[in-house]
Amino acid sequence: MNQNSPSSWKMSRRQVLRYSGISAVAIGGSSFLAACGGDDGGGGGGGGGGQQSSGGQLIHGATGGGAKDTLDPHQPVTAADIARCLNLYEPLLIWDNNYALQPALAESVEASKDAITWTVKMRAGATFHNGAPVTAEDAWLSIRRVADPKAPLSAGGQLSQIIDFESSKVVDDTTLQIVLNTPYAILDSLLAEYTLGIIPGGKFDPSAPVGTAAFAYKSFEAGKTSTFTKYADYWGDAAFLDELVIQDFADDNAKVNALQAQQIQTLDNLPYNLVDTIKGAGGGVLTAEGGQWVPFTMRVDQAPFNDVKVRQAMRLLVDRQAMIDQTLSGYGSLGNDMYAPLDVAYASDLPQREQDIDQAKSLLASAGVDGLQVELFTGDDIGSVAVPAANLFAEQAKAAGVDIKVTKKTPFYDDDYLSYTFAQDFWNTRNYIPQAVVGTFPPAQGGTYNETHWDNADHRDLVNAAAKEVDETKRATLLHDAQEIEYNEGGLIIWGFRQQVDGYAANVQGLEPSKYLPLGNYKFSKVSL
Amino acid sequence: MSHPSTGAPAAAETASAPESFFRRALRQKRFVFGLTGTVLVVLFAIVAPFLSPYGEKETAGPPYAKDGLFGTDYIGQDVLSRVMHGGQEVLVISVLATLVGMVVGILIGVVAAYAGGWWDEIIMRLNDVLLAFPQILLSLVVLTALRNPSDWVIILLVAAGHAPRVARVARGVALGIVSRDFVVAAEALGEKRSRVIVAEVLPNMTGPLLAEAGLRLTYSIGIVAALGFLGFAADPGAANWGQMMNENRLGLQTQPWAVLAPVLVIAIFTIATNLMADGLAQASQKGD
Repeated sequence: MNQNSPSSWKMSRRQVLRYSGISAVAIGGSSFLAACGGDDGGGGGGGGGGQQSSGGQLIHGATGGGAKDTLDPHQPVTAADIARCLNLYEPLLIWDNNYALQPALAESVEASKDAITWTVKMRAGATFHNGAPVTAEDAWLSIRRVADPKAPLSAGGQLSQIIDFESSKVVDDTTLQIVLNTPYAILDSLLAEYTLGIIPGGKFDPSAPVGTAAFAYKSFEAGKTSTFTKYADYWGDAAFLDELVIQDFADDNAKVNALQAQQIQTLDNLPYNLVDTIKGAGGGVLTAEGGQWVPFTMRVDQAPFNDVKVRQAMRLLVDRQAMIDQTLSGYGSLGNDMYAPLDVAYASDLPQREQDIDQAKSLLASAGVDGLQVELFTGDDIGSVAVPAANLFAEQAKAAGVDIKVTKKTPFYDDDYLSYTFAQDFWNTRNYIPQAVVGTFPPAQGGTYNETHWDNADHRDLVNAAAKEVDETKRATLLHDAQEIEYNEGGLIIWGFRQQVDGYAANVQGLEPSKYLPLGNYKFSKVSL
Repeated sequence: MSHPSTGAPAAAETASAPESFFRRALRQKRFVFGLTGTVLVVLFAIVAPFLSPYGEKETAGPPYAKDGLFGTDYIGQDVLSRVMHGGQEVLVISVLATLVGMVVGILIGVVAAYAGGWWDEIIMRLNDVLLAFPQILLSLVVLTALRNPSDWVIILLVAAGHAPRVARVARGVALGIVSRDFVVAAEALGEKRSRVIVAEVLPNMTGPLLAEAGLRLTYSIGIVAALGFLGFAADPGAANWGQMMNENRLGLQTQPWAVLAPVLVIAIFTIATNLMADGLAQASQKGD
């Protein structure tokens, strides 16, 4: 199972942040090491060894973009948006390739003992692409934009509810004090969302976006292409490349063909069954352990899944290893109906759930739904794994006499999303608490994507208590109990976690595998040609 | 083509007309080749599912493996078995769509030709409006709007694309028949119009309409396969030949048979039905 080993957490997260200056130098300093493969975030490794050289233009291919493409740092939706944002903007903290917090525009983020008052020290010498220094005022106004209680943006659902906007203040140009209306021990992880980039005065100008990252804006055409130039005054290691182009593609087929024709140099989310094709064509494949998942979602407030026995039976119908072997071509690890496998508090001690047709039949019989017939909604826009997984599950369920009718909906993510009785979805890696809030809490309490309509007060109290708990051991116990409730009664069938697999051309150097996001968190500043 | 002089003898003669036409068609080599190919593919589609080594959706190995005659597909299903299972749906939909399209199209064309005058003008101008739509476009527009289209929706959409095209052909053929003596004689004897159409006009259109039916069947297969390829098959997991091409196109270099096998079967079938239609058309012309 993918999770950080205890040994990697000898320092507390607080200590990691405190010694952030050292780690930043250590992580960002060696481009040669970067070229040689990378950390233990996964297999693969980008490009060959040797000294990296400066200059050139890299074209990255991404699918999923369209007329709604955006450069707004706080509202990215598609993989193309995310790639653009991560190269143009930076948050205060950021998840590294091992899914550990690292400082970015903040040199440190410290909590008071009661986890109510948080002090952010801004990085000295960091400047926006327009030359202005990055101040605590910019950070605070950016947070306010995201966490506007009236209309919170992507990363602001939880922030908008816990920040005391009256008491929080900008102490000076380099110090921001965030006061919360409740203890919240993991505020730092919320500040590390890639959807919380810092922009001047907290104002986004779509005609001339300004950020702080290693690339500056040059041009942008929604649904087509965007171009970024090297920002020479970047506070960290400047990019090797002179120019970065992010190209939208209609589908994976066009993207893969473009890589093979050497029209692009990198692509994310390579379909698993094409790994050999890319390797055979002389390209490289970057693989990384990750925590991304494509669950089946059962609405716990609607028949037949309002009966916990039916949910338990459905979970026992899945042959999880077969799902990984067939739909992920083996590039994945077993799921146990719980998310956040990279969280240190992941309940790995709970027994691995396996296919048990007899037990499933027995549960269905006792629930009075022998010969159960259900409709499963899927769609291509969930990702290339979704439809095959749905078809395979339907086939596996036949063994227990369950008839699953697979319906492919185009688009899947329309007004019906979150109302399907039985469907699929996709999630990237998150730690347990933020994932539980966004995915299992009622919408009014931050659950903006609660597909299963899960509404369990005991579970919610445990998660909220854990969020307030500053003692990591006590917090882990609370989270274990919360996970156990979901493990026994939840509406998600999490059959596996997929590895991240990306493709690149033979002349690309410096890519590192990351557990967090594709292509080493899309950090193209480390890449050379 | 038979030329009966009165109503009663006409009925007797027309009964043997299709048979003689078929015998003429059998003298066309291309018809024989086409018919043989068509019958073989249809037999393959009917019988093959009972002989396939694996089930339609059964896993046979790792994705894009070399196991079996044609290897495995994108999620490890046996390509040969999928091809063997994939014919029935395509063929049934194609044949039914062709039948419905032919019936509706012939009805429109013959009524227009027989009614003549303003009725002919109105019916055929409306028909021209429908003809202006590319055939697959109508299907795509409707299927995109529908949440869960059944096989019958696809059948009716493909048939709706055929009908105006068949109507134009049918009207052209019928125009040359409705003014003939035996039709006029039947009318003079007081036969009902519907009876005149069914008993006198239609039997004398058999040759050209059979040729048109063969052609329409070819187009039906192409459209149904194309809709499957574009992701509009009724069952997203079914072994539909068109859908198989779509599912496996990304792995064309790794596992070409997953795409080539359904392509080959569709190619053989469309060529065969086209040859058959060609042969029927030639037999029809020689008969004239």
